[in-house]
Amino acid sequence: MHILLPALVFLPMLGALISYLIGRKSKPGRNAFVCVLLTAECLLAVLGIYQAILGRELTFTWEGFAGLGLHFRLDGFRALYTLVAAFMWMMTGFFSPQYFAHYHNRNRYYFFTLMTLGATAGVFLSDDLYTTFIFFEIMSFTSYTWVAHEETPGAMRAAETYLGIAVVGGMVTLMGLFMLWHKLGSLAFADLQKAGETLDAKELYLPGALVMFGFAAKAGMFPLHIWLPKAHPVAPAPASALLSGVLTKAGIFGVLVTSCNLFLHNGAWGNVVLALGVATMFGGALLAMFSVDLKRTLACSSMSQIGFILVGVGMQCLLGHHNALAVQGTLLHMVNHSLIKLCLFMAAGAVYMNLHKLDLNDIRGFGRNKIVLHIAFLMGALGISGVPLWNGYISKSLLHESILEYVELLHEQGLSAAWYSATEWIFVITGGMTFSYMLKLYFALFWEKNAARQEEFDGMRKGYLRPLSIFALLGAALILPALGMLPSILMTGIAELGQGFMHGESPAHAVAYFSEENLIGAAKSLVIGAALYLGVIRPFLMEKREGARVYVNRWPAWLDLENIFIRSDFTQKYVCGCITAVSRFLDNLATSKFFYVIVPAIITAVTRCLDELMDSVAVLLSGTVLSKKKTPHLPPVGTRVTYYLGCALNAVARFLNRTVLRRHPLHTDFEYRLDVDKHEAGQTLGMLTRSVSFGLLLMSVGLFITCWYLLK
Amino acid sequence: METVMNTGDWLLALPILIPVIGGLLVAFVKALDDMRLRRVAVTVTLAATVAAVLAVILRGDSSLTLFNLTPTIPVLLKIDNIGRLYSGFISLVFLCVGIYSFEYMRHEKNEKRFYAFYLFTLAALMGLSLCGTIVTLYMFYEAMTLLSLPLVTHTQTKEAVAAGIKYLIYSVIGASLALAGIFFLNRYADTLTFTAGGVLNAEKVAGHEGLLLTVLFLMVLGFSVKAGMFPLHGWLPTAHPVAPAPASAVLSGVITKAGVLGIIRTVYYLAGPDFLRGTWVQQAWLILAIITVFLGSMLAFKEGVFKKRLAYSTVSQVSYVLFGLFTLTEWGMMGALLHIVFHSIIKNTLFMTAGAVIYKTGKTKVSELTGIGKQMPVAMWCYTIVSMGLIGIPPTCGFISKWYLAQGGLSMAYGWNWVGPAVLLISAILTAGYLFSIVIRGFFPGNTVQPADLPKAEPTAVMLVPMLLLAALCLLFGMFPGALTGFVSSIASAVL
Repeated sequence: MHILLPALVFLPMLGALISYLIGRKSKPGRNAFVCVLLTAECLLAVLGIYQAILGRELTFTWEGFAGLGLHFRLDGFRALYTLVAAFMWMMTGFFSPQYFAHYHNRNRYYFFTLMTLGATAGVFLSDDLYTTFIFFEIMSFTSYTWVAHEETPGAMRAAETYLGIAVVGGMVTLMGLFMLWHKLGSLAFADLQKAGETLDAKELYLPGALVMFGFAAKAGMFPLHIWLPKAHPVAPAPASALLSGVLTKAGIFGVLVTSCNLFLHNGAWGNVVLALGVATMFGGALLAMFSVDLKRTLACSSMSQIGFILVGVGMQCLLGHHNALAVQGTLLHMVNHSLIKLCLFMAAGAVYMNLHKLDLNDIRGFGRNKIVLHIAFLMGALGISGVPLWNGYISKSLLHESILEYVELLHEQGLSAAWYSATEWIFVITGGMTFSYMLKLYFALFWEKNAARQEEFDGMRKGYLRPLSIFALLGAALILPALGMLPSILMTGIAELGQGFMHGESPAHAVAYFSEENLIGAAKSLVIGAALYLGVIRPFLMEKREGARVYVNRWPAWLDLENIFIRSDFTQKYVCGCITAVSRFLDNLATSKFFYVIVPAIITAVTRCLDELMDSVAVLLSGTVLSKKKTPHLPPVGTRVTYYLGCALNAVARFLNRTVLRRHPLHTDFEYRLDVDKHEAGQTLGMLTRSVSFGLLLMSVGLFITCWYLLK
Repeated sequence: METVMNTGDWLLALPILIPVIGGLLVAFVKALDDMRLRRVAVTVTLAATVAAVLAVILRGDSSLTLFNLTPTIPVLLKIDNIGRLYSGFISLVFLCVGIYSFEYMRHEKNEKRFYAFYLFTLAALMGLSLCGTIVTLYMFYEAMTLLSLPLVTHTQTKEAVAAGIKYLIYSVIGASLALAGIFFLNRYADTLTFTAGGVLNAEKVAGHEGLLLTVLFLMVLGFSVKAGMFPLHGWLPTAHPVAPAPASAVLSGVITKAGVLGIIRTVYYLAGPDFLRGTWVQQAWLILAIITVFLGSMLAFKEGVFKKRLAYSTVSQVSYVLFGLFTLTEWGMMGALLHIVFHSIIKNTLFMTAGAVIYKTGKTKVSELTGIGKQMPVAMWCYTIVSMGLIGIPPTCGFISKWYLAQGGLSMAYGWNWVGPAVLLISAILTAGYLFSIVIRGFFPGNTVQPADLPKAEPTAVMLVPMLLLAALCLLFGMFPGALTGFVSSIASAVL
């Protein structure tokens, strides 16, 4: 059965190529192929979970792949999440043909969607961080195409942020992996756990935090969430469902790997995760309440729910050996959130593919009298709000109880639990906020009337969903109450299957999901939620315009962490500008004016000084010691000897001319004549010397030849 | 263990002689002025070189003494594992780029001159790869500089000639520093023949360590000119972009590695890593390499001209290699050797893509490349894959080399050993910024651009096949690096 694991990963990747090739010939053929392939993948995942239920752990190793090799393992948790992923891909796959009917670049979409499925399966099946990282990176890059798919300026901007965070997150995680591997020599999860037990935790905090960074960014943890509320809404709805439902969980997978292995039962680590989780949970819910865009609300809600999950992770670390409830709560909330978001995003997709609008004021009233959409959305809303008998209630109760348990534990030890009591209250209030923003969406879509287009909306009652889409939507919706109504069979089973991965201990006794305490907790949240809806959303987040109440976005536009910290003028101009300026300076250092002008100028000056050093001595001497001495008389022609001799001869000649040679005077200028003669003599002598040496040379050649002849 | 070596193995001369003969034929035989015949001749020469290199690689360790400069300084060729690695990837890359250039060079003049010097440069590089002493290396090094100059100045524009002069000046400065180093080394070493672990004579060195370290520092700085390390990298972003694309490709992808080879030979085969470990020289080298890694990436990120952006990227990437070498650890050395090969594969593909864009559309600026992915999908897919390789995203080859480089950095005994890996990753983020922006613009032109505005401009198979081959290698080496890592591990463990 080993082959099952690589099949789960590589089958969709192979399918991606095939679907692309088919898609170039026939669009319907490709759609059919994709649906069949996704169903096959889902069946393989069912086979996997069957093995896990039987208690078998499958492993698969591909030695040497990418250096350190691929290591897969299929245990309960991994089988479960592979199944969730495969199921969600299948359902969105059924929903896609109608959704994308009028889109361009569908081949590209399907290709990358299938690639992402394979990569995601790789992440969930991985058994060492190296494998996790490889597939995590592939997943990050292939899922980029989802966000950018529509190619509107907004989508491109969101995609840029998505990619930026993915690249930075990936590299930070990689730095953590470098350090961990250097310290431990292995990245296998089992070895990480051993290291957590044996090594000093202080040595592991930095690498662990770095590793978690990239995963937490993908999960949307505060303050790395900035990409999430922008990227999820601009993607096509089926992709949004997968981004929100599965890809965030791939991030959580990494968080779990560090928190439940490296920092198993480490309270300090737990506190940090808890604090970040609370901020994420509350911040996401707040953003969702203010949002007036259907998909943005759902995206912010995803962020908030990830916060709930992180609270569970933090509680696991804090509770140590009492972590049973926290582990089960975390696991179940992951599964529940995936399934709920599948349903809600597809419902949002059903709205968008008919109206091409997402603003609540534009789409209000669309859901009236549309029974399938109504059921689907309602199930999702009830599930996520934590209403008893729906699935979200179960996991939220477990998480809530785990906080209470820790508070009690601290009380028993006589320690202050104020901070954790406050956490509990924020938890309950956030649950209320969840209910309030879901009420906002629900009333807007299904009860309020659209002032302008209500008749048109009512006319779309038939044909707004194709049968395959209805199947996908209802299938996703009806699982939610099924899980919520049979918790002791389904939920407990799921929890027990997956808890081994997080090293959870089994609870001391069977969990009473519908205990009085849990029901009161849920009731508190629901009352707070209703109060928030009536007391905050309706009066403050809506206003009357032209006789109708409309939704207004009251979130201050400047309050956007991305715009404040990353895209602000300060960062772009000053920080980036400074770094660029320094780089430019260093780049031009060797060719700078300093080296090309100043240094040569200095060297020239120095050499000129040296050059004129002796001149200055001469000038000095001539000015002082030698100043009164006459410079020696230089002969105007020839050398001194020829000149004086010539002068003498000239005198003799003058004398002779006046006396003896009066008739035929000599006109020769001997000064000049002697010089010429001397010059000629010199030349003749030179020629003579050369001739002699040439002769000598020839003679020696001859001698050489003779010798050679003689000696041969 | 000393093994008796064959010192008259003329097979070693073949990889040098074949391209020289081929180049001479192309330059002087009238019959080869015909375009088609010349292409055949060039292809045959390149293929024959690859074959000769294969034969040399498979040959056991052997050497060939060409002649003696003085009784103690022989000029000799020797094959060892570094030589096998270098000659192997260089001949392969030259073959690919050569075939690619047949199409590209159509829109340039003076093809004859280009191919002659292309082959001569290959010969010089083969000599460099196979040389056995530092003096031999120096001779081929200078030859390479001079023979590759016509490739830089090929277009003969004012700009190209100026760039050529800059290239020459920098190279001469670098080579003279190296030569000065050789003089000193000769005084303190037993031999100038490359020996794993170094040739310094401890007795002669005793008392002169400071001098020798300074000399080695300068010598490596000299070789680093070709490798484009700060502060002597200035010629690279000027000279690479002005050359025709195939020449830029081999300049960036291969000739920079010749400088790296000089450094490997000096540090690991002459001075010996033990002599340098922990000294100020090592720290200074590391700091310079780290600065260059960041500097190149940052400037590439800010650069608007496509080919110049790639040239800055080379500045950064070759210093990844140097960083690995300067760590003086087995991991670092392995990472460096891997990155030499991988960067060569990647950078050649990137320049070939840039060339294809210029050849088919005439666009040279990054801002003009909107929708280029729709126009030439296959070429841009190659670009995307090798971009991932350069950033170091698994499962491409760059990830493997980065892993080793970072482990090398972390295994150093300095307290600041994490700085190197951290800067490598920051540089990787910038690399993603400057390479992916083109991919994104190319494949996601925005919903306002009509498909009709983006006519198909896919280059012909002559251009595509070499790119596809190298891009495939980038993926394959990333997925199955076992054989190559085993090979470089044997090199690294021999010297460390």
